[in-house]
Amino acid sequence: MMDNGAHSDSRAATGDPMPAHAGIGPPAGIEPMAGIEPSAGLGARAGIGLRAQHHLRVLSDAPAVAWFEAHTENYFADGGAHVEALARIRANYPLSLHGVGLSLGSTDPIDTQHLKRIRRAVNRFEPALLSEHLSWSSVGGRFANDLLPLPYTEEALRHVSERIAQAQDFLGRRMLIENVSSYLEFECSRMPEWEFLGAVAAESGCGILLDLNNIYVAARNFGFDAQRYLDAVDPSAVQEIHLAGHSAVEFEGQELLIDTHGTPVCDAVWNLYRAALRRFGDVPTLIEWDTDIPALEVLAAEAAKADALRAEVHALAA
Amino acid sequence: MPSLRELQSGVMRALLDGEPDGAVPLIAARGIAAKHRLDVYANNARANFIESLISSYPAVRRLVGEDYFRQCARGFHARHPSLSGDLQFAGAGFAGYLSELHGDDEFRYLSEVARLEWLVEELLLAADHGPLDLAKLQQVPARGYDDLRFCLHPSARLFASKYPCVAIWEANVGSDAEPELIDLGGGPDRVLLVRSRGRLNCHRLSCAEERFLRSVQAGEPFAAAVEHGAARNEGDTDADGATCAFDAGAALQRFVLAGAIVDFR
Repeated sequence: MMDNGAHSDSRAATGDPMPAHAGIGPPAGIEPMAGIEPSAGLGARAGIGLRAQHHLRVLSDAPAVAWFEAHTENYFADGGAHVEALARIRANYPLSLHGVGLSLGSTDPIDTQHLKRIRRAVNRFEPALLSEHLSWSSVGGRFANDLLPLPYTEEALRHVSERIAQAQDFLGRRMLIENVSSYLEFECSRMPEWEFLGAVAAESGCGILLDLNNIYVAARNFGFDAQRYLDAVDPSAVQEIHLAGHSAVEFEGQELLIDTHGTPVCDAVWNLYRAALRRFGDVPTLIEWDTDIPALEVLAAEAAKADALRAEVHALAA
Repeated sequence: MPSLRELQSGVMRALLDGEPDGAVPLIAARGIAAKHRLDVYANNARANFIESLISSYPAVRRLVGEDYFRQCARGFHARHPSLSGDLQFAGAGFAGYLSELHGDDEFRYLSEVARLEWLVEELLLAADHGPLDLAKLQQVPARGYDDLRFCLHPSARLFASKYPCVAIWEANVGSDAEPELIDLGGGPDRVLLVRSRGRLNCHRLSCAEERFLRSVQAGEPFAAAVEHGAARNEGDTDADGATCAFDAGAALQRFVLAGAIVDFR
């Protein structure tokens, strides 16, 4: 278990309910398939990624965080402390569930066990948004447990769109699909990533979770203009934005950016966020941090920075 | 143009088997060799897998030290890559791998400690269950007890080993203090692990209690479990050298109070 320290009393949830965070009521169960705007449940302020080391703080202090996003697989367990903690957090905060292991682009048969666990998590925690990645991580039954890029071909487009539609049918709701960071491009690709992402959304009916750090990393790694990517994405499809930090490594004097989620959001990505706010409007925004995870206050400060930028951009627009 | 299947198979061989030759021609180099680009993903895959093992096996890691733990984890990953999109399961089988490496040498207790840690992992993730409904049990007439099949809490795990692994484990988790020296000849371990009210509890068992609980765990009726508990096997002695007397009523009460027996049918 990722956090063996969190041995909370499993009966506490039925005893003393946590005070609801001021101004944020639990969102109503939202069914995007019914045509309701799914992002509505998360409100306009920026949320932060929930990691196990923050469970106890969030439960004891009820910090002023607008909403949380949790990795779906971390709450796959039948029971125990993590599942209990998320249920209690969910009672006081809006939630998004973000999967990292469904391997939607894989040519193996879709993992129905994994889908069933996602469905159980959705039923348990009633997230306002449910998302996964435009990537693959397994073939021949073996998993790399990483987000591997697809070749941008007609075959891959058809394949991954069908799989997303299949997953959405199984889960009975729309998913958001996120663009991933990449460190390699396939020779056989026949279209740019933004065209592929847009076509996947159109064919599968999924929404788009636009990760601006991933766009920036790919733009730097492969030498394209990140603004061109934003300009190509259909604003009506974008329902969530991710912001995160990255690192750089060098190979033979050539820099390669790596999506580590272990540093603050860089200035260039904040600038990209300004441009995204102008193009996509009030989309729920998430601060992600997955390695060298800092104190909750650091994450909350990044979220506050996003909120301030949004207010600034909208004031200018008005 | 390769099919998507061919492309994915080639890339996976590069990432998990260290055989990049099939994947390299599929990748645009653009200033950085395709091999280096694949290495970024191969390193990520291995690092994510090893992180999962670090999370599951804190005591083994402390016992062998960081460098050797990572060496073992890399070897295990090469032989037993992840078969799930949920890395939680990546460490299943690590005890068996350590036993292949150290089954006969002075580190032969390592695989036993790993087996204990995996049971703890399972225990922490198991379903929740309330305590036994005593009122429901009181409605069963005394003559009906023999046929009852008691159920253990979903988190309940029985662990027995030749070495004092529970003491080794306890000395190597939860504290940064230098662990005390533990005599490997300190006798066998026999424990019931169960999660009760969110906490991991470890109950030492007599050999009779262990036989009783294994029978209950196998779904056998109470009468059969009591019979197993009372049976005296040749050489059965507890840590203190006493023979294993068995009191069925006391055992039932103990395991109900421990939150280990939670239902019956």
